[in-house]
Formats: sequence, structure tokens, C-alpha cells
Amino acid sequence: MLTLLTLLLAAAPPAATTGPRTADGHPDLSGMYDIATLTPLNRPGNVGDRMSLTEAEAKALAQATAALLAKNNAASDPNRKAPPSGGDGSAGPAGNVGGYNTLWVDTGTGAFKIDGQYRTSIVIEPANGRIPALTPEARAKGMALAKYNRPNRGDAFWITENLNPGPYDDPELRPTAERCLLAFGSSAGPPALPVMYNNLKQIVQTKDHVMILNEMVHDIRIVRLNSKHEPPEIRRWLGDSIGRWEGDTLVVDTTNFNDQPGLGNADRNLHVIERFTRIDDKTLRYKFTVEDPTVWTKPWTGEMVWPATDARIFEYACHEGNYSFAGILRGARILEADAIAKKKP
Amino acid sequence: MKYLIPFTIAAFGAWRLYAHHAFGAEFDPNLPVLLKGPVVRIEWINPHTWIHVEVAKKDGGKEVWMVEGGTPNSLLRRGLKRDSLKIGQVVVVDGYQSKDRTTRANGRDVTLPDGQKFFLGSSGTGAPYDAAGKDQRK
Repeated sequence: MLTLLTLLLAAAPPAATTGPRTADGHPDLSGMYDIATLTPLNRPGNVGDRMSLTEAEAKALAQATAALLAKNNAASDPNRKAPPSGGDGSAGPAGNVGGYNTLWVDTGTGAFKIDGQYRTSIVIEPANGRIPALTPEARAKGMALAKYNRPNRGDAFWITENLNPGPYDDPELRPTAERCLLAFGSSAGPPALPVMYNNLKQIVQTKDHVMILNEMVHDIRIVRLNSKHEPPEIRRWLGDSIGRWEGDTLVVDTTNFNDQPGLGNADRNLHVIERFTRIDDKTLRYKFTVEDPTVWTKPWTGEMVWPATDARIFEYACHEGNYSFAGILRGARILEADAIAKKKP
Repeated sequence: MKYLIPFTIAAFGAWRLYAHHAFGAEFDPNLPVLLKGPVVRIEWINPHTWIHVEVAKKDGGKEVWMVEGGTPNSLLRRGLKRDSLKIGQVVVVDGYQSKDRTTRANGRDVTLPDGQKFFLGSSGTGAPYDAAGKDQRK
């Protein structure tokens, strides 16, 4: 009897979590979640190696953000002129033409809090809160692509500089998000990361499957519970996900990605392990470990919360309204014709 | 008392700022535009909204420009109604024309004629922009 009790104790899972449960006794993670947060993936340089913000800092951040949004949403000069020719100086991938008003953006209202701490980064391992260095192989791959990465000057630089192929030569050379194939910024993941807007997730859970619907691009992940991975020749955009319960934690293991996973820099060797644990009735802990031996010099781990929301996911028929893609290709043809005409003696 | 502000939304790395597609690929920084005219059609579609605006040409004729905004989902979630922006409402848009030289532009700043932004959430929704207070529009 004592032996049986010892065995039972040894096998006992960590303290049971609260919240709803399914008929078969597992935590019921079903529901809607909004993962927007101001906490970035990598720890910003100015917080050093600190993992958390003080209450006062977190408050200051939320206030500064609210003030910035209010400023951006305040009235503009009704007599303003067109923006400057040559670009408006905005940086980033929007590249010198700006984007659209701030009111379309939804990046959350504060840093997320977990274990009583407002976190400075999603990455928690390495301890400096930053994704580890790329392998020489991945760095070389990035360098090879860097020649295409330049400010938007409204010209066909690939013609004047004889770059072959040009970045607009083939629709399939364009980024997957531009083509409505995958959410950008690893919004769907795995790992699922917060992005500029559309940060809603819906979990639907049955005895044998867990589905995670991502608002962005309507990317759907289907996790088979207590199953085996597909053979290695079967490759998917979102990888092949299998899951199991470890006590009250849902563990999802994903491999079999194709050559362009949603996570930046990652390649087909990406392997992601995600752990979903209910913290309370309204919050999940989302922890993940990423390894890709051909891309990063060591594995890295991130952690954040998935707060439940009453909000609903709206339809995201990306292909249907993607007028931009044809415009981008058509624009490239026009700029090429201009560049070729200029080249002629 | 001033506290350290460790990072703000402006300090986000580029990984956060990818819009659905790079506007840099679509719009030409050498073709700035200022458009003013009535809204004639609104497409609340993904990945990005398009607002059609009728603009007077120098020769006295008229042409319709398509102005690209963001995803409508965040606005819908904040309580935007179908008629929050009405057909016939005059808007002012500044942005850049598309590289394909069609009458399309990004809605870098889209306002009413008095400079006010529109689409701000109604009060009490808990939406981030409720804090905008007096700038709210129904």
C-alpha cells in the first residue's frame, strides 16, 4: 500500500490548475485570447539584462504609449500639403512612404505581467532576453539576401545593378505575407508572436485534437493529440503539430516545416515545443522553445501570457481583397521599363 | 516624478512593424499626393481597407482614387459601424501614389476637412483609443 502511494506521489503532476475542465478531466483551454502586448520579443538595449520592469516603469510605459496614441490620433493640419517628394523619412519595411493612421494599429496597452512581474522581453532564455546568434550558415544566407534590402527610392535598382533574379521577377519570390499565404511576424507561429494588429487566437479543444485559429490570414493550426509526426517528406507551412498532456499542461511539438516558416530566419529544420498552462480562469501561460541547429547557435525560450477576451475574430479573406499584390508586380514592370529606357545609349 | 520609460511602441524592432505587405514595394516616394473629395465607395476588406475618393482634376474633370488603409478588424472590434464613414463625406488624404501609376495611394493620413481623425472608438468599450477623449467621433 505504501509502495502504491509512493508511486502515485512520484507520478503526480504539478499542482492542478483551476478553471474549466473537459469531460475527460483535462483543463479546457477553449476560448478567445488577445495576445497584443507592448513587451517586445527581444529585450531592448536600454534595460540591460533586467527581466522585469518596476510597477512605476510599467505604469510610465503604459502612460507614454497612451499619450503617443492620443497625439497620433489628434487632429492634423487641415491645410497640410502632400508629403515631401523623395519620401517622408519613415524607416522600417514601410520604407519611406509611411503607412496608415495609427488608429489601424493594435499593439496592446502595456507590458504583460507574469508571475507578478512586468516583463521586458518575451525571450527568457538565454538569460539576456535576446535571441542567440545566428550560425555562420544562416548569417551567410542573410548576407546573400541583403543586397535586395534597401531604401525605397521608387526605382528598379535590380536593372541598373544587374541583379539576377530581381526581387519582383516571380510572384513566388515575394514574402509569404504579401502573398496571403502566412501571417507576417510569426503571428500564427509556431511560436505565435504578437504583431501590429489582429492578435486574436481561438482555441477549440476536443479529446483528440486542439485547433488554434489565428485571426491574421485565418491561419489554422490543428494539433493531433497522442499522435506521431508525419514522415519527414511531408512538409507544411505551419509545420506538423502533435500534442500531449503533461499533467495540466498541453505540450505541442511541431516539426516538418517547409523552407519558409513564419518565424523569421528559421528554415525547414525548425523544431518548436510549446507549453500551454492555465494560470487562472482568464489567463494562459504560453511558453515555447525554439531550436533550429542550422539557424541559431543554441535553442532559445520565450514566455508570455494569453489573456482571454470577449472580443470576436472577424473574417480574414486575404486573397479576396489583396489588390496590392498585382499592383506591386505591375509597378515593378513599369519601373523596369523606365530603367531600361534610361540605360539605352 | 519622472520614471524611466524603458521602451515604447516607437522603439519596437522591425519584426513588429511588418504590415501585411511592405508599402515600400507598392508606393512611390517620388509621387506624393494630397487628395480631397467625397468618399464614393468603401471596401471593408482584408488584408487592407480601400476607401474610394472622388477628386477634381485640373482640367475640370473628375477621377476616383483608391486609398489604402489598414485591416478593418481592429476598427470593427472597437465598435466601428458600417456608416461611421459615410458615402459623400469629404475627406483629406495625404500619401504617395502607387508605383503602377494607377490612381491609388496609401492613406498616410486620412482626416475630415477640419483635420480631425475619424473612426475613433465609442467611449466605454475599453478600446485603447478611448483615451483620446475629446478627439472621439461617433
